[in-house]
Amino acid sequence: MNFTFFCRHLLASALVVAAPFGLAQAPAMPARPAAGVPTQSPTSQRGISEWLLRMHEASRNRAYMGTLVVSSGGSMASSRIWHVCDGEQQIERVESLSGLPRSTFRRNDQVITFSPQTRVAVVEKRESLGLFPNLLKSPDSAIDQFYTARQTGSARVAGFEADVVHIEPRDKLRFAYRVWSEKKSGLVVKLQTLDGQGQMLEEVAFSELQLDAPVSMDKLSRMMTNTEGYKVESSSELHKTTAAAEGWQLKSPVPGFKSMSCLRRPAAGGMAGPDSTLQWIFSDGLASVSLFIEVYERRRHGPEGLTAMGATHTLARRWSDNTGEWWLTVVGEVPLQTLQAFAQGLERKK
Amino acid sequence: MMTQQVSTPDELVSALTDGELRGEAFVKSVQWLEESEEARASWHAYHLVGDVLRSGEMAATGAHDAAFVARLRSRLQGEVQFVHTEHAIDLEVSGARHERVGGINRHDVANDASFRWKLVAGFASVAAVAVVGWQLVAGVNAPSGAPQLAQVELRPAEMQAQVMIRDPQLDQLLAAHQQSGGISALQMPAGFLRNATYDRPAR
Repeated sequence: MNFTFFCRHLLASALVVAAPFGLAQAPAMPARPAAGVPTQSPTSQRGISEWLLRMHEASRNRAYMGTLVVSSGGSMASSRIWHVCDGEQQIERVESLSGLPRSTFRRNDQVITFSPQTRVAVVEKRESLGLFPNLLKSPDSAIDQFYTARQTGSARVAGFEADVVHIEPRDKLRFAYRVWSEKKSGLVVKLQTLDGQGQMLEEVAFSELQLDAPVSMDKLSRMMTNTEGYKVESSSELHKTTAAAEGWQLKSPVPGFKSMSCLRRPAAGGMAGPDSTLQWIFSDGLASVSLFIEVYERRRHGPEGLTAMGATHTLARRWSDNTGEWWLTVVGEVPLQTLQAFAQGLERKK
Repeated sequence: MMTQQVSTPDELVSALTDGELRGEAFVKSVQWLEESEEARASWHAYHLVGDVLRSGEMAATGAHDAAFVARLRSRLQGEVQFVHTEHAIDLEVSGARHERVGGINRHDVANDASFRWKLVAGFASVAAVAVVGWQLVAGVNAPSGAPQLAQVELRPAEMQAQVMIRDPQLDQLLAAHQQSGGISALQMPAGFLRNATYDRPAR
């Protein structure tokens, strides 16, 4: 390595390191005219953590309403969205416009789903919703190690100018994402999940959006608690446990995926015990995988196989060793080979 | 067909309808039309068939047709939903043909003599039924227009996905994954909204 090259290399590295620091101290971008003059935007140098944090904060601190369209494969579903946040509480209302009529309300991590046709309201606590941004702040966060983000341009979605951010995985065990992040607020207005060949697996997009809409928190709150005429069910009792306590481990962990939690769910009959299902949850920060383990029962389980619904892939198979026979279902927004890696890496401890 | 010796009056009328007659044959057949009411009925029938084939608007006339339309509609509704519309029409045509052709054979004495005309009558009725059926189905689809048709085409994919996850066990696991497993920086808002929009009715 000669001297010139060494200097160049050093300078280049210094630039890469210094740039995010410079950006972090820059004030928020002033509103730019929508005439779309293609200036070299400093936003192209934001790191992935910065982008994700910005997107997360945008949805936390705003009120908006709009129409969301989810498309995957050949099918499409849409819903009407209302979102409001008063700094502490966040309330969301989702009215399905396709398929069965359904109203979903969320207050922070409490979710209630009304089904007008069956007159049933299901109450759940979705702990996964509260975990971010701790995911990013933890020192061993996988996101930086396994994904990169770069802005690839701008586009207009639902009437808003947005930065197009390409999130690419560093290996083949996860999917890529293209995120349209509204320029001023950072709100995700469109999100595509792409496979290894760049094919779109799924798209979630606002077809219509009104930012800073006059959404009334009181009104939504009242609608959410009005369960008159509905039979209220709370989702099955979930018992928190650990994989180790249940006698399972991954002898070869899948790179990037960390064990997040382990739950014991009652089986179809609603009873705990040998019929229950163990759900072991992993995440790499952007994609999550659930490993479901049940005692194998011929009449209940089978056939083995793979399914794909949009970005969600499923692998179901029998798993056995000298201690017994089990039925494994691996579900996640990851490629097939990742599901297989989980299935193959599973090991019974005791 | 063009230069054969025409023997029966109906064949004459048919040839006249097609503009195939010249000279003496032409004069004769016109005369016969003036004299015979039967001939005029055939003339009317052939023109009706022609018009129906060319444009479906003339088809929906008369109580007889209305009854057929009602039967067709109820049968269409009974069909499994994701059968492509073309197949639905095929079923209707083949189902209805037997009724129509049978009716003609019972009531149309004039054509009994000639097997060829029976064939033509049968074919014409099938064609008329096909057109009526097509118009009806097009009419059924018309109110929603393109989206309805798109829905028919989408359904196989949608149904396919639903057939795969109709397995209630898998359905439950998928719901469980969405409920507890969606740990992602992209969960808010996109992930959660996606799940709420695309929710499968596992209950």
